[in-house]
Amino acid sequence: MKIRTFEYFVREAVSSLRRNSLMGIASVSTVAVSLLILGMFLVMVLNLNHIASTLETQVQITVYMEDGLSDRDMREIGTRITKLPGVTEVMFIDKDEAMVKFKDRLGEQQGLLTALGDTNPLPNSFEVKVDKPEYVKPASQAIGQLKGVENAKYGQEVIEKLFALTKMIRIFGLILIVFLALAALFIISNTIRITVFARRREIGIMKYVGATDWFIRLPFMIEGMILGFSGALCAVLILSQTYSTLTEKVYESLAFLPLIPKSPFLTHISIVLLVVGTAIGALGSSISLKRFMKV
Amino acid sequence: MIYMNEVSKVYSNGSVALAEVTVDIHKGEFVFVVGTSGAGKSTFIKLLLREELPTRGRLVVNGRNVIEMLPKDVPYLRRSLGVVFQDYRLLPNKTVYDNVAFAMQVVEAPRREMQKRVHNVLDLVGLRHKVRTYPSELSGGEQQRVAIARAIVNNPVIVIADEPTGNLDPDTSWEIMKVFDTINKAGTTIIMATHDKTVVDAMRKRVIAIEKGRIVRDQVKGVYGYED
Repeated sequence: MKIRTFEYFVREAVSSLRRNSLMGIASVSTVAVSLLILGMFLVMVLNLNHIASTLETQVQITVYMEDGLSDRDMREIGTRITKLPGVTEVMFIDKDEAMVKFKDRLGEQQGLLTALGDTNPLPNSFEVKVDKPEYVKPASQAIGQLKGVENAKYGQEVIEKLFALTKMIRIFGLILIVFLALAALFIISNTIRITVFARRREIGIMKYVGATDWFIRLPFMIEGMILGFSGALCAVLILSQTYSTLTEKVYESLAFLPLIPKSPFLTHISIVLLVVGTAIGALGSSISLKRFMKV
Repeated sequence: MIYMNEVSKVYSNGSVALAEVTVDIHKGEFVFVVGTSGAGKSTFIKLLLREELPTRGRLVVNGRNVIEMLPKDVPYLRRSLGVVFQDYRLLPNKTVYDNVAFAMQVVEAPRREMQKRVHNVLDLVGLRHKVRTYPSELSGGEQQRVAIARAIVNNPVIVIADEPTGNLDPDTSWEIMKVFDTINKAGTTIIMATHDKTVVDAMRKRVIAIEKGRIVRDQVKGVYGYED
């Protein structure tokens, strides 16, 4: 395609946008709202996933031992645990050490323990770390079956709940996004339909003088893409601003919450939204061209 | 140049617009297509432009088999044809120059060639001095001349005109016919559907008369042959 032809296409698209500015604004706003919601869901789902997997990697398995095992038995169990797949570190904590830690944690309230007298109800234990989150579950199950082991625990409930929540949000978000994308498509194809209608004379003449299909269609496609891109740009700006503010606030007050750092995360989200917006624009106009322009 | 062999066109509602039409038009001919309204003149022209496809028969326009042609090749057929309508079909928001240049723009002609060619054809139709004028500021005859300039700017081998003088007074019609005659003398084939008895009778060109979808008369140096 010649540069001059491309210039012509863009000029046609822009002048047509100017003529139908009201419909244009409606299209851009619809795309912006739809993509903003899409973006919010993306950010939310990705962050929840991130939080869940961060927690998961930090998970360790605590193995409680039965009372009355000999040192040799316990060493034996320790060696067996070390040999399990994915296990990277096994630390033995004897019951006295556990008591000291427990007292530390109670702090000023350790007076409560005086009622126990000299007895130490805490068991001997191992703290086991694995290198990948997916090893946590099998490793803890395997350990639970070893002889002399009372039980093996990790924070599975919390993590499983988090993942379930992410899944639910993902499904709900997906449904919402599909509806909004359809609405955006509908509005854009309507806008383009009005443009096609307004320029039907011109289109007719173009056909008679031998313009090719794509020559007739491209200005309308460009118009749709400009609408979609502009809507996406609005969504990106609002989303970036909101996320930046949110992460700052979270770092100030809830520093332990592992949110995804805004760079390069926001860049990636922005690219996705801009591409989706432009694609919705192109698709919207091609739907309308197919239906209303027999070339 | 144009070869129609037993061409029929039946519309989906069952009405027969053309029935077994056979006609041969050679390069450089000037042909009037006459007939009452609804006789099939418009369908005849639509087939040539491949706006409609024949139901049966064989149709070759400028060496191209119109029936077997792929949709993507249709624009290239149309580039070898120039079309003029009764209602001019100019773009009101473009100047005379831009209206004519538009036809070259859509076929992506080089700018230099475009400028030269647009001025040449505007000279030919006698409107060189009105390049910057808008269609609404022109008379009907002038508008039709712009439309003719647009039809011939891409050097078509055939010019197809559908009632080009239908909206014009006799004097202006005559002016327009002189323009067509000039174009024809330069070697371009002209096919014109018309109701204009005066024009047909005065020009004495080939006349094809269509009635109820059939060719009933095909005369060299013919006359209109109907009462107006």
